[in-house]
Amino acid sequence: MDPDALAKAFVEHYYRTFDTNRAGLGSLYQEGSMLTFEGAKTQGAQAIVAKLISLPFQQCQHQISTVDCQPSGPAGGMLVFVSGSLQLAGEQHSLKFSQMFHLMPTPQGSFYVLNDIFRLNYA
Amino acid sequence: MDPDAVAKAFVEHYYRTFDSNRAGLANLYQEGSMLTFEGAKTQGAQAIAAKLASLPFQQCLHNISTVDCQPSGPAGGMLVFVSGSLQLAGEQHALKFSQMFHLMPTPQGSFFVLNDIFRLNYA
Repeated sequence: MDPDALAKAFVEHYYRTFDTNRAGLGSLYQEGSMLTFEGAKTQGAQAIVAKLISLPFQQCQHQISTVDCQPSGPAGGMLVFVSGSLQLAGEQHSLKFSQMFHLMPTPQGSFYVLNDIFRLNYA
Repeated sequence: MDPDAVAKAFVEHYYRTFDSNRAGLANLYQEGSMLTFEGAKTQGAQAIAAKLASLPFQQCLHNISTVDCQPSGPAGGMLVFVSGSLQLAGEQHALKFSQMFHLMPTPQGSFFVLNDIFRLNYA
């Protein structure tokens, strides 16, 4: 599959899952996965899901502005760099964010998230 | 050296070089290096240096707000995720940006940039 199409498909799946079934994100991470969310570091699928579920908002909607991707090396990994906005229920203004994912192939022909870094973009 | 310290040192060196001697960035890239700058893709140290030298501004000053890093896998690589602002000479307002680097170790004990993705963060 074309890498750009793959990155786009992953991004759409990731944020749709985040916005409708946050616990479902667990299957996208593995034991060695790392998340840095606004500077807070977490490791491993279980701890990462717990962190994402504990974020101080119930409902949210991600809107993606840009998606860039590049192959990350001989292991078949892919870097995906996203920017967009995040609307929280009840808030008047949406928050801008940037996020990068490092996807690694699984034996089943899919991808999992090895590295995940999220930052809000303050005005 | 502590990974966070390595990332911080790299970021300081990269932007100081960008702001004072843009052509000097070429030795941070190699033949397989990739840059995506505002969606435009370039590959190889020479083409990347040419792309950066051709950007439509002479003087600029990067101001870094956040630096996050994570190891990228068994090959010893490091992902560095930066946000900050970019002041162009003669412009009244600074531009906000996010950038990610994937650094790979060299045999001499240094790092080179394998992947580089840059995006402005529009308000």
